Amino acid sequence: MLPPKTTLAIVTFAALMVLLNFTKFARPIAANGVVDFQPRLGSIPEAAAVRPAPAGSLHQPRGIVKRNLIDEHGSLTSFYQALWRTESKVPGAVTRILHYGDSPVTADSITADARSLFQEHFGDAGHGFILIAKPWAWYGHRGVEVSGKGWRMEPASQARAHDGLHGLGGVSFQANTGASSHFILDEPHTRIEIDYERQPGRGRLAVRAEGRPIGEIETDGPAKEPGFLAFALPPGAQTVDLSVEQGPVRLFGVSFERDAPGVIYNSLGLNGGQVQVVVRYFDKVQWAEQLQHQRPDLVVLNYGTNESIFADYIERYYAGELREVIGRVKTAVPNASILVMSPMDRGQRASSGRITTVPTIPRLVEIQRQVAAEMGCAFFNTFEAMGGEGTMARWYDNQPRLVSADFTHPLPGGARKVGVLLDQALETGYRHYKAGQQRQVAQDRGAGRP
Amino acid sequence: MLLSTPAYFVFLVGFFFAYWMARRYRFGGLAIVLFANYFFYARWDLIYLALIPLASSCDYLVGLALGRSNKPIVRRALVTASLALNLGLILSVKYLPHLPWLLPIGLSFYAFQALTYTLDIYRRDAEPTSSYLTYLASASFFPTTLAGPITRLANLIPQWSKREVLSPEEGSRALFLIGLGLVKKLVIADYLAEHLVNRVFDLPKLYSGAEVLTGVYGYAFQLYYDFSGYTDIALGSALLLGIKLPANFNRPYTAQNIADFWRRWHISFSNWLRDYLYFSLPGLRSRTKIFAYLNLVITMTLGGLWHGANWTFLIWGVWHGTGLAVQRWWQVLRGKRAEPAGKTSHVFASLVTFHFVLIGWIFFRAANVGTARDVLAQIFSGTISFANVTPAFAIVLAIAILAHFAPTRWYDGVVRLFSSAPYYAQAAAIAAATLAIQYAASTSPAPFIYSRF
Repeated sequence: MLPPKTTLAIVTFAALMVLLNFTKFARPIAANGVVDFQPRLGSIPEAAAVRPAPAGSLHQPRGIVKRNLIDEHGSLTSFYQALWRTESKVPGAVTRILHYGDSPVTADSITADARSLFQEHFGDAGHGFILIAKPWAWYGHRGVEVSGKGWRMEPASQARAHDGLHGLGGVSFQANTGASSHFILDEPHTRIEIDYERQPGRGRLAVRAEGRPIGEIETDGPAKEPGFLAFALPPGAQTVDLSVEQGPVRLFGVSFERDAPGVIYNSLGLNGGQVQVVVRYFDKVQWAEQLQHQRPDLVVLNYGTNESIFADYIERYYAGELREVIGRVKTAVPNASILVMSPMDRGQRASSGRITTVPTIPRLVEIQRQVAAEMGCAFFNTFEAMGGEGTMARWYDNQPRLVSADFTHPLPGGARKVGVLLDQALETGYRHYKAGQQRQVAQDRGAGRP
Repeated sequence: MLLSTPAYFVFLVGFFFAYWMARRYRFGGLAIVLFANYFFYARWDLIYLALIPLASSCDYLVGLALGRSNKPIVRRALVTASLALNLGLILSVKYLPHLPWLLPIGLSFYAFQALTYTLDIYRRDAEPTSSYLTYLASASFFPTTLAGPITRLANLIPQWSKREVLSPEEGSRALFLIGLGLVKKLVIADYLAEHLVNRVFDLPKLYSGAEVLTGVYGYAFQLYYDFSGYTDIALGSALLLGIKLPANFNRPYTAQNIADFWRRWHISFSNWLRDYLYFSLPGLRSRTKIFAYLNLVITMTLGGLWHGANWTFLIWGVWHGTGLAVQRWWQVLRGKRAEPAGKTSHVFASLVTFHFVLIGWIFFRAANVGTARDVLAQIFSGTISFANVTPAFAIVLAIAILAHFAPTRWYDGVVRLFSSAPYYAQAAAIAAATLAIQYAASTSPAPFIYSRF
């Protein structure tokens, strides 16, 4: 027999919910699926969860190597030429990549995987640029442990230096006597280069490898100017220490390199990085000097995620500021290839509970594509390459998850996917370029041309 | 079919009507329960329709044989077979996750319950049931399938023989528990998870020390409200049929010491570990007192590993086992129970115990030891910023804390008020709670944390 009171309560509740649904007070209750005999917690196959956009055909129009890598003006040619020299093991042929970006790049996400793939295929010329200490606990560089104490850290995106001198990596480090930094490398390198500021009234820095002194830097000088000083590292050395013997001293970073043809892939991320940080807070002259010193073959500009929450800014100012940044790079290093790399998808939880793409992302990506084309730069559509709208929802539901619960920062698996997509796009472009060049040489030979 | 989804409640209401209409015939009621159990399992995966009846039939036959045999060697062989079967189920699901017959839900709660039956009969603490249908319906009872509470079948089986109709008080309490469980899960636990906890444990280095610490506090309460919310729904679902399941929680963060914590947290699990594992370990009657301590560490380590093959669970188990052993040693040393006297001492003891548990939760929640280390490093980094802690999160966390520490008489008073209300007032209250859940819970329901164990 039915228990009367409980039965009446249940029936009345059901009637109330029907009424509330009918009057639109309550949201529709999806009670279907009671007889849906499908597993709910089972893993989503990775292939289904991460849906890369289809690769372009080999017969695409000239200049477009892959749908998500657009290079209508052949902007990547000088990068491809450098890669070819490196691949051919020409002595001293080092291909240098500077990858500017925001928080994922700060943690060497994406860039670490791209670096390891490039170095695996073209040779390893070293870790490249590393900051003096960790401005954010999140900062890192795969294969290098960095720690420092006593430094006043001024990232351009946060507690910026008043004179705008933020060096190559966007962070100024100043310290008095006693401050130090410690680097542990996973493998020995041949050389370390210190990036510092020379100016009147400055002090002295000691450099040690495996605990033994290898040099000193006098940072005092007649005027403010950039200083770069390289020291050979003893064979087998894997630990390096910097210590301020006499303060004050101002540094921007160090570079670890090897004497071998290969790729150096510099990861230059800023937490909260945006194009407007570069425009407003990077000293134009000093940044140009830093870029010129690096002699990069490719500069990757990978911003957009932090801008995506400012819809009005995107419509009114973003294109102009992106043009300004590209213009500064072109002026500083006119021979370098420039790649505008779009942000990844970014998710948000809608009121329905579904994870959807932040609406400004597709618009921002489109603006980047237009500006890149207009400025003669290559463009990599990360957003489409990783699967387009709703990717972060799929990544969040994937087992294992590929994105953090903020639907913005990729977890290691997600970062690797993006790193692989970038590497594949650039290497495919390179193979096409090389094949084209080899065909041309063969045709020239066939035609009897020298 | 999660216990917090509309589909489950449609299923439950349909089952409620079918059960009570068929209940006048004992066979009819049990047949409906069994059908509902297997329907519930099949919703996860059809493979269970073969696996569960097969395993249950084996244990039923083992139980009958144990009841008829007095030969120690035969009895030992029978109970070993049951142990091998049920532990094999647990281990295969947990440690061989890539088998083709990958199962969407763990069977450990089923296996734990099934083992209480054969082990109790083996120890002569219970008699086997002669009714095959009763055993099948009890062993796979659907409210306990996903995450317990682990119910001794010796306590569950006799309840099917009761003839009385569900009393209005029991029915009201059942509805209240279900509503409360939904609020705990969907409004509090999922909110805390979605708005800080998951992020902090995904990438702790992205957040300040203060934010990470807030996230860890948030996780302690998320886990409690998630698991106790599930338990409330399970208890309420069973009570709608007049079945009383054991309590699983008793305000655990008010515990005065670590042993007290385990008397208040996941009670059915800690009782199971104590009764069927700790007391079975060798050396307890030995003159060497070390076994009393060592067995605590072994028991809790195995309890940790039951959650999964991960160093984090191992560390969590060892942490609690060591805590229990040190407390036992301290009690022996002082010659009395280490109960604090005075209100201040009580509060201090609760805080110390809570933070001991909190450190364990960091390992319990972190994806790996490296992440746990990062969480601890961030907490001790001393960086202070609350930029990622929204006011809404702070309010929900404050409500969660206050509700947990509220006096039990307040809770009892609310239950009495609800029970004494007329049916239409109860219906209106549940409808209001449903509306509140719809508007306050910003996410679709996440799986219950313990359903993966």
